[in-house]
Amino acid sequence: MIEAGLERAPPDWPKAGDEIRAQNFGPFAREALARYAAVSGDDNPLHLDPEAARAAGLAGPAVHGMLMLSCFEPLIMRWRRDLFIARLSGKFLRPVLAGEGIRVSGRVMRRRDVPRPELTLRLIARAQNNDLAILGEATVWYKIPGPLS
Amino acid sequence: MKAAHDPRAAALAPKASADKLIRLPPIRVRTGASEVAGFLRETGDARTGGVVPVTFPARWLALPALRGLILQLIGGDGFLPVQEGQTFAYEHELRIETDYVLAVEARRTAKPPRLTLKMAVSTGQGENCAHLETVLRIVPLNLEPAS
Repeated sequence: MIEAGLERAPPDWPKAGDEIRAQNFGPFAREALARYAAVSGDDNPLHLDPEAARAAGLAGPAVHGMLMLSCFEPLIMRWRRDLFIARLSGKFLRPVLAGEGIRVSGRVMRRRDVPRPELTLRLIARAQNNDLAILGEATVWYKIPGPLS
Repeated sequence: MKAAHDPRAAALAPKASADKLIRLPPIRVRTGASEVAGFLRETGDARTGGVVPVTFPARWLALPALRGLILQLIGGDGFLPVQEGQTFAYEHELRIETDYVLAVEARRTAKPPRLTLKMAVSTGQGENCAHLETVLRIVPLNLEPAS
């Protein structure tokens, strides 16, 4: 459940235009993709089998889109601990191949203070060659950080 | 992608009447601590202490009932699903070591060839917690041997 939040935004509540500092994730070696497949259950051969990936038109196994989308959460929570991610979405635009990493970043697009402190974030994941891999968006609410956050 | 030019792609775009909507019976799931810990570790999330990551419910797409449904709706072994979009929307955070109920709806469209899965996550008492939407593009495999 969401912690009981304050009605007002804290003094350092971000404003539109604020940047979330970029962070690198990966590189995602094939072993890392196999481990992600094991914990997520997503063993689509597109991510694990070079032949299947080639048959689907790729140069090699592709990093799971959901694995890359998952990187946005630590990006956001390292930026601020006092957030509840109410919505996270992403469009997968370009495949990232096994062995490559991504650089994820964000920007505050909109700030609302009522009925609760809320931010809309634009999120971006870029491949090593700077191609846009994921275009994402998150809606986050202010919450009092708990001891385990 | 090369696969987009595969002649079997035509088979993916039959009449609009080929669109299908299937709802599965409710599925019980659990946010097991070891499963959550493994998921956090492999997604580069250093948090511990009972946090269930936002994207964790994605693993429920791999439940046998959903795998079978996806395989059936994409057309079998000659095709692969390629993820095109994903949304997670939360009303309440998920708790660790807690049972939930999934309501799953799958819509297969012919034009364009897509499979959209919608999943609602609720408590056993019927309290809505989260909604997921997964959009999969259906790609025919080019299985011809290399010349």
